[in-house]
Amino acid sequence: MQTAGRLSSRVSTTAREIVQRRHRPDYQIALYMGLLMLLGLIVMYAIGPQRAHVLNNAYGTDYYTSMYFFIKQTVSLMLALATFIALALIPYKYLKKYAVKILFAGLGTCVLLAIMGNLMHLPLAQCSLGACRWFDLGPLGSLQPAELLKFGLLVFTAGFLGMRLQQGKVNDLHRTLIPLGALMLLAAILVIGIQKDMGTGIAMVAIFASMLMVAGVSRKVGVVLLGTALALGVLMIIIAPHRIERIITFLDGDTNDSMTVDDANYHITHAKIAIGSGGAFGVGIGNSVQATGYLPEAINDSVFAIMGETFGFVGLTVILMLFTALLLRLLKVADHLPDPWMKLAVAGVFGWLGSHVILNVAAMIGVFPLTGITLPLLSFGGTSMIFIAGALGLAFQLSRYTVHGSLNKESNYENPSSRRGLGRPRYASRGSTPRA
Amino acid sequence: MQLDLKKGSRSYQLAILIVIIMAVFVVRLFYLQVIKHGYYVGLANNEQLKQLVIPAKRGEIYAMDGTSPVPVVLNETVYTVFADPKVITTSKEIIDTIQRVAGGNARPNLEGLLAKKESRYQILATKVTRKQAELMKNANLKGIGFQEESQRVYPEGQLAAQTLGFVNSEGKGQYGIEEALNDRLTGQDGLLQSVTDVSNVPLTIGNNNINKPAKNGDNVVMTVDRNIQAYSEKALAAGLARTKATNGSVMVMDPQSGKVLAMANLPTYSPAEFNKVQDAAAFNNSTITAPYEPGSDVKTLTMAVGLDKGVVGPNSTYNNTDSIKVEDRTISNATKGQTGNITFQHALNYSLNTGFVTVAERLGDGSNITLQARNTMYDYFHNKFGLGEKTGIELANEAKGTVISPTDEDGGAVRYSNMAFGQGLDVTMVQVCTAFSTIINGGTQYKPTVLAGTTNDDGSVFTPAPAKPAQSGVISPDASNTIRIMVHDARSAFYASSDRKGYYIGGKTGTSQTLENGKYVDDQTVGTYLGYGGDSQATPKYVIMVQVSGKHMNLAGNTDAMPIFTDISNWMIDYMKLQPKG
Repeated sequence: MQTAGRLSSRVSTTAREIVQRRHRPDYQIALYMGLLMLLGLIVMYAIGPQRAHVLNNAYGTDYYTSMYFFIKQTVSLMLALATFIALALIPYKYLKKYAVKILFAGLGTCVLLAIMGNLMHLPLAQCSLGACRWFDLGPLGSLQPAELLKFGLLVFTAGFLGMRLQQGKVNDLHRTLIPLGALMLLAAILVIGIQKDMGTGIAMVAIFASMLMVAGVSRKVGVVLLGTALALGVLMIIIAPHRIERIITFLDGDTNDSMTVDDANYHITHAKIAIGSGGAFGVGIGNSVQATGYLPEAINDSVFAIMGETFGFVGLTVILMLFTALLLRLLKVADHLPDPWMKLAVAGVFGWLGSHVILNVAAMIGVFPLTGITLPLLSFGGTSMIFIAGALGLAFQLSRYTVHGSLNKESNYENPSSRRGLGRPRYASRGSTPRA
Repeated sequence: MQLDLKKGSRSYQLAILIVIIMAVFVVRLFYLQVIKHGYYVGLANNEQLKQLVIPAKRGEIYAMDGTSPVPVVLNETVYTVFADPKVITTSKEIIDTIQRVAGGNARPNLEGLLAKKESRYQILATKVTRKQAELMKNANLKGIGFQEESQRVYPEGQLAAQTLGFVNSEGKGQYGIEEALNDRLTGQDGLLQSVTDVSNVPLTIGNNNINKPAKNGDNVVMTVDRNIQAYSEKALAAGLARTKATNGSVMVMDPQSGKVLAMANLPTYSPAEFNKVQDAAAFNNSTITAPYEPGSDVKTLTMAVGLDKGVVGPNSTYNNTDSIKVEDRTISNATKGQTGNITFQHALNYSLNTGFVTVAERLGDGSNITLQARNTMYDYFHNKFGLGEKTGIELANEAKGTVISPTDEDGGAVRYSNMAFGQGLDVTMVQVCTAFSTIINGGTQYKPTVLAGTTNDDGSVFTPAPAKPAQSGVISPDASNTIRIMVHDARSAFYASSDRKGYYIGGKTGTSQTLENGKYVDDQTVGTYLGYGGDSQATPKYVIMVQVSGKHMNLAGNTDAMPIFTDISNWMIDYMKLQPKG
């Protein structure tokens, strides 16, 4: 330990200098993101007209032109790219500085939505079956405040946990875990409890979990947190009957394929039909039949299944590889960032993206219950796309500050006792410790 | 990808976790997309691939009216009215409307049917006409639907019921020409198969789309003449009423072509209401499906063989006794006392069994029915006349009958002595008519047929069927001429007064015993009459065969069957506009 400590001490001096000097960002993050967005756009071009046709038929209108969804997706992509660039360019210190405000904005809009939707029943809040998740902004589209809340949680927790990390108090029950747990509970009540959005709730937990994990929370605390999260999850399931139905549906597995539209199994069965009928190489672009109204949410939550039908096993494997590469890049960046805020922020982005991908894909292939969550970068839908692109933009910016070589501070954060003799605050000179 | 993650670090653990999860996903995808691909394609096709069968129109059936075809079996579209009780809110209104419009076609207890809310399909009325269906549709009843189907209609009612057959509820022809020509009448259903979107709009996606038009069934024309058929049925019914017989059949054939002009059977049924028939025996066309022991009619055939072989002539004589001994059996005559040296014409007139046993003996060595005699008789009866073999007439369920060959252990002299006067063999009326036509028409065997040809779709253009191959010289023209005269004389001997002057009519009675379980029963005989008629000695225009029978009834050819022949024969002369001669 002593040897390691001394070594660390020597290297950390170098690290500070390197941190100050920005270098080229990790362009692979942008590359994978761009490829995935492009794929999503291609599929939207192919199935958009069918979706429009189905909707026009269903509502007896001709409101949706055949290019409607492609154009909307293109606009969303442009906005997402703009957000990505903005977050890549706006110095991260402003995010650190306004982290609390962003968090409050997220919490506030969620509360506002709950008041407008659940209490006042204003049309501005988009509700279905008592779950209000969206603000309807008319021609501007719709906005999902939970996404903002996710981002707020990410930047706030990066600061809060980063500070505790520097203080060596990551595992401190009163100063770290209880406040964070309270925040998590508040978010869960808003998102899972009021908005009845289990998927987004799980994603938030995953963001917290990834950050705690990278921050080096002890195994004991980790197990306790995991147990608490599971217990809460079970409670959430018990209080919401539609979740029980989804679980039962899921447990029926592949043996209970349903062709009846109002059956609980219909959605997942048709996701599997779309994926399975794609075969090894897929039916080809524009030849998806499941997208013509059989598979629910074909362009949103189920787009992975449509891609399975279109591109086949080979195509889906490539898509999963792109996501894996992107996620591993994020881990690499996080791993090589010496600054705790940066490291935890990127870990949060990893948790965000990873949880969305895993929850969505797992539901589509029938290995996890449906949670109604979008597939990042591929699904139709502006809010989700813009926020995930923003998060990736932040990670892209932070990838300019990585330190390479044998440097790895992580082991030190994991064991606060080893840091005691090294003097702190280690990064005090940068003056960027968040003041929560 | 070079990640430089430190082994065991938290990032490293997360990376491992992600890679494992993704690997599980890929394995699962492989399972779904490669291993279970066929299964999911099956599920997908089940809902995406819609097949629409374009039903082929079943061919219509025509009969001849003189020289032009007239329809006797047509199609009409009827509707089945069904309901989805689950969505029905106005039960009362629906029940009122259906009972008012459909009347007797409505099913009983509509309230009960509509109360079955859990079922999604209840039939409320069947065989509703298009007009009735439109009235119901116009009532705008929610939750009821109409299913179109085609049913047979019979403009001539019961006419030729057994010859036509019927079409069962599955659309398959049963009995008669409907069954025999089912494939031709059915045609080939067309198929429209397409991948569709969820609202059943066909898509141009995929290569499973099929568009095969339907090929309608042939309209077939029967040789049966509607007027002759109608009159035969009428005459038969009248004859049965006279004799109290329960069963009867009449076949009218053109001896110069083998075309069947009428096949009447009683009891009969209405093909439109085939499902109300209690005893399926009414479906059988006994003239082709019921082999019987023909009795004395066959004496004309035995005589023809003797004439053709030159062993007897109409005026050659033999010494008749009231019985004759063949091996260990004694064969007696029904009419006694015609003893002494008599002609074979005399034997035919009085239907003396001994005379025809003698003909059979003369085909052998003169006093025994030798193997040569038996071979000769078998060759004529079976091989040339076609007794004991299916004629191939275009009707279902034709029976073969039995003619025992001389090489069979039952095919000895006793058997053949019996066969000479019509016992010990089982044949159908169509076989007898065909053989009889052959011996009186100059010796040409025409295959019996009921199929005259086809018409085009709307029945306006008649295309005759190609003639079936005919076999000439089955017996010599001289022998044919002689037997024709002999049969004429046999009738004239007793019934000349029944026939109209100036026409040439011949016929032979037959009264045969009935076999039940291989044994003759005493209280039941079948009366038959087989004859021909026309305006000249040389060319008979029609052959008519009548058969009457009944359970525990002794019916005779002369008293019970013959008058029916006479009735039809005299009518045929008018119908065929035959002019009397000398």
